[in-house]
Amino acid sequence: MKKRRKANTAFRHTGAFWLFVLPSLGLFALFFLLPLVLSIWFSFTDFDGWKKMNFIGLKNYTKILKDSSFYLSLGRTFIYTIVNLPFKVAIPLLLAALVTSKKLKGNTAVRTMIYIPVLFSSLVAGITINWMFSQEYGLVNFLLEKMGMTPLEWSLNPTLATVVISVASNWVSAGYYMLLYVGGINNISKELYEAASIDGSGKVNTFFHITVPLLLPTTFIVLLLSTVNLLKEYALIQGITLGGPGTSTTYIVQYIFSQGFDQYKYGYASAAGVLVSIVFIVIAAIQFKMTKGGGEV
Amino acid sequence: MASMKKFAAGAFAAVMAAGLTACGSGSAGATTGASGSATPTTSKAITGKEMSVMVSEMPSDTDALGNALSTWASESGNTIKYIVVSNDDMLTKFPAMAKNKDLPDLISTTGLHQLYPEEFVKPETFIDLSQFNDAALRSVGKAYASDDITGLPDQYTVTCLYYNEDAFAAAGLTAPTKDNPWTWDQLYENAKTLQEKGGVKYGFAADVSRARYDIMMYANGGSITQKDGDKIKVAVNSPQNVKTLEKFVEANNDVMPKAIWAGGTTDNPVEYFKNGDVGILLSGSWNYNTFSTDISKFKFSVMTSPKGSASQAAIVGGGALAVPKNGKQPQLAEQFLQWLYTDEHYSAFLQLDKGPSVMKNVSYDPGTDQAKADYAVIQNEVNYVTDAFLADEAAGWRQYKDNEYRDALKQAVAGEVTAQQALDGFASELAESSNWAKAY
Repeated sequence: MKKRRKANTAFRHTGAFWLFVLPSLGLFALFFLLPLVLSIWFSFTDFDGWKKMNFIGLKNYTKILKDSSFYLSLGRTFIYTIVNLPFKVAIPLLLAALVTSKKLKGNTAVRTMIYIPVLFSSLVAGITINWMFSQEYGLVNFLLEKMGMTPLEWSLNPTLATVVISVASNWVSAGYYMLLYVGGINNISKELYEAASIDGSGKVNTFFHITVPLLLPTTFIVLLLSTVNLLKEYALIQGITLGGPGTSTTYIVQYIFSQGFDQYKYGYASAAGVLVSIVFIVIAAIQFKMTKGGGEV
Repeated sequence: MASMKKFAAGAFAAVMAAGLTACGSGSAGATTGASGSATPTTSKAITGKEMSVMVSEMPSDTDALGNALSTWASESGNTIKYIVVSNDDMLTKFPAMAKNKDLPDLISTTGLHQLYPEEFVKPETFIDLSQFNDAALRSVGKAYASDDITGLPDQYTVTCLYYNEDAFAAAGLTAPTKDNPWTWDQLYENAKTLQEKGGVKYGFAADVSRARYDIMMYANGGSITQKDGDKIKVAVNSPQNVKTLEKFVEANNDVMPKAIWAGGTTDNPVEYFKNGDVGILLSGSWNYNTFSTDISKFKFSVMTSPKGSASQAAIVGGGALAVPKNGKQPQLAEQFLQWLYTDEHYSAFLQLDKGPSVMKNVSYDPGTDQAKADYAVIQNEVNYVTDAFLADEAAGWRQYKDNEYRDALKQAVAGEVTAQQALDGFASELAESSNWAKAY
């Protein structure tokens, strides 16, 4: 009798668990697992998105591995990610330190202003930045000309085009990561700061020796999220440069999109997607390993 | 092939000549030919329905198609629902819509009916095709891979060079004439003069479209494909094509807004011209109407195309109205098209469109002397459609690759690859997709 009651309780407990989990599990299956399985299947076919779908084995994979454009796009993506990662961490961290400072007036207004770009769609943010940095009729070049300076070739110089995208990317994400850091800073015990102050530690010293180390779990999350977001940057670039000049800002997601939706090589694009996902998973796993999952750092 | 060229040019010239003859009568606005055409009629007029129409941009009040649709809707007691999808996006959205059985009743398109002919109703089943200009039907309404007509042309255009008259006057330049055209080298040189003395930022600009670049290629005797007996070969990387692209890259560095063709901006060179920043613009004749209403701060006109090493060259094209077979109400769309392509309603359409007519018995009277002179130049341009262009169109290479060609040109302009590498790369892609051998 006791055993049966125990079993019932366990079942009720498990049942409740599944009841809570089921809605999100359903959505996860529908919008993630199903496309994932389909994508893996398509990668072994010559699917053109509509009428043609023949099994072609590993042909797509062997072709991708011989495609120099694939490696170039992937290489560009890695460089873009590595160059931008320090800014993705440092800027929100400094902003968080600023908005948690007691000396700052209009704290809520500042936080709101920094957070507003997070609410923009990436494409809208991209188009806005495009207007500002347009080579011919953009605001920035207009101001430069007014100040007697030479307008810059934002749309022609690959480095400048990448800088514009990087500025835009940091602008739209800084508010979100700042909030993560604000939460982290607020969780640091005030006693530690009092002790440091009594020991004669200055503000800068306290920031680097107390705040930064104790925020490492948050930094891990910011690093992981920014890495993934930078690796799969797409809409922002479409709004700003469309991958140009030439292919200098064509990153790996643009490459996959172009293969699938411009050239109707859905099978090929799926294979590229699968390969890139594996690379991204490996990167995330290395980050987890190095930071011990952000738990014991 | 020469006969094809003559046929296309002749038919277009006939349409334009009819238009200009009508100009001579002194009456402004659209005129209707004497003989009306007998078109099949639907058994019963449909009313009280909503017709979904896919268009590339939301029609304004003065848009010819938008106006025709509103008039038809109010006359027939139906309503219109627009689905706005850009021409580029239509290429991806249409297959998805077809798969999901969610197709609109009517599509205003620049190529879907040519790419997927089996998905569209053949217009001959509900309208008399003999009332249409044959050249327009063949270049705009015909499928790429067969002789089937799958769309009805509503917009007929030819490549066209616009120039800023004020800038020309300031630079001391005289526009070339039909009998004394410039060479492409002269155009580039004069573009430099325009930049130096004409008060424009760029001497020359061209739409980011292979249909613009290709007139330089055809003028220099090049082509995308070549016939070898019954077989087709890829010839896009021929030595003369490489030379043309090298010259174009050079022009981008010297006299053109390079960012546009290098692909780092979404700017439109048409806007540059309208703002008075460009001396000569290579675009389509369909822009004439917009320029007439939008440009007020300087005088503009149309000039004859320059000669290449082989000849002058032009490309004809346009847009069509097509009825998807699996749309929910194909009969409703057919009813609209039967209504539109009557002399009376198409005349009203042309009055707003201000373009060449696609119907034999209907023509447009440009009105002013300046417009008449410009239309004479535009009309003459169609005589420069080359055999090579018609052969390329007949080969249907665009069903295998299209935007990739433009992207290869962009990479060359951006300086990422040489002209030879860009064209070799595209030739390989096209050969692989089409299973055609490479000629070079």
